[in-house]
Amino acid sequence: MLMLAGIVVLHITTIILLLVAAIDNAWWITNTVSTDLWGRWELANSAWHYTNLENYPEDYLQAVQATSVLACIFAILALFVFVAQLFTLPKGQRFTFTGILQLIACLCIMTAASIYTAKFHTNEMEGGYGHSYVLAWISFVLTFILAITYLILRKKSE
Amino acid sequence: MGRAGPMRGVWLGINQGTVCFLLLSCFEALCRVASSIPPLHFLSPPCTRTRSRVGLFLDRLLSGLRHPSFWELPAKPETMLTLLALASVVLLGIVPEQSQAIVIYTGWERHALLGSDIRLSCSFFSWRWTSEDVTFSWTYRPDGSRDSISIFHYTGGAAYVDNKGPFRDRVEFVGNPGRRDGSILIKNLDFNDNGTFTCDAKNPPDIVGRPSSVRLLVFEKVPIQAGVITGAIIGVVLGLLVLIVVIYYLMRFLVARRVFSLSVSKHGKKKKEGSQQRQIKV
Repeated sequence: MLMLAGIVVLHITTIILLLVAAIDNAWWITNTVSTDLWGRWELANSAWHYTNLENYPEDYLQAVQATSVLACIFAILALFVFVAQLFTLPKGQRFTFTGILQLIACLCIMTAASIYTAKFHTNEMEGGYGHSYVLAWISFVLTFILAITYLILRKKSE
Repeated sequence: MGRAGPMRGVWLGINQGTVCFLLLSCFEALCRVASSIPPLHFLSPPCTRTRSRVGLFLDRLLSGLRHPSFWELPAKPETMLTLLALASVVLLGIVPEQSQAIVIYTGWERHALLGSDIRLSCSFFSWRWTSEDVTFSWTYRPDGSRDSISIFHYTGGAAYVDNKGPFRDRVEFVGNPGRRDGSILIKNLDFNDNGTFTCDAKNPPDIVGRPSSVRLLVFEKVPIQAGVITGAIIGVVLGLLVLIVVIYYLMRFLVARRVFSLSVSKHGKKKKEGSQQRQIKV
């Protein structure tokens, strides 16, 4: 019972981290600029302005957007499938479908973070990665752990 | 202005007519149901003690809909006729205010490659017949400038193109004034051609109208539109997932129903029990 609650809590935490990583505006931060996958905030005369992204390789940016959104979708789907499988799976079986969905989510967020690391901000001197970027990698680790857990876990047989 | 085709005006008229008619007929129906049809007993007697007023109204509405006399001709044709007359007067009152303005349609934005040709379309909708004195004129305003220059004019059956300005020898008239089309073709585009092109059409005596503008953007290579690749990736992956799940459950269903031949079904029965233990190979 405790383990089940723990796994569900961990899964929900992972979903929240993925959503924050995909939505929040902090993949790359400098003193005056804060960007993410969708737009950038620029500080001009002590007022923040939201502008479009420019000077980005357009196709890679869209690939990162797509894979991060897909990772969120698959993680949420995995939670629902897990709850459904709790009730429908015969005893002693593994939660394979949940595990596979979670594994796909893990792959997607890994793809997104990797493409972002490799292709963006390769030549810039100042600034660093923001908390959304860090959360993306942390959620990659968490989704991986959860996927392995689901693939190994068996439903309790009395 | 200028996003839909010339049928938009006619469509607006039809839309307004149908909406008015539907509203009036709904109102008429509700009034009749609430007042004339006697309520049948929809709920069982023990529930009637706790019935609220809303429940009473809903009960009468539902029983009225099931009553056969609801679907026959209305009891008072005179009310229907007066309502129809009111509606038509209202419509005729609205329509003439719109009918005297000419509506001009061009695109909103056009993208083109450096060195290519582009056809800027312009058409108009007018309640009058196309007269012989119909005129089209195109003006150009460069990006970042406030002055516009005239580059094309069609009047009296003849087209006059730019022969002094930046578009000399590059503008050609490809429209058909008889069909209300005043499109022009601009050849060999350059980066200096970025700007706003405005089309103004007049169809005497229908001359009151708002000119419509189209913005031209010239690129070295045409950029990928925002979100196309994103949407494509997401759509394909989710579609594949749905397809795989459907196929998986379909196979299980078919094997369980012994649709396949006997030899396969024996193998299939074993497969059905074992498939829950194995990973699905995707």
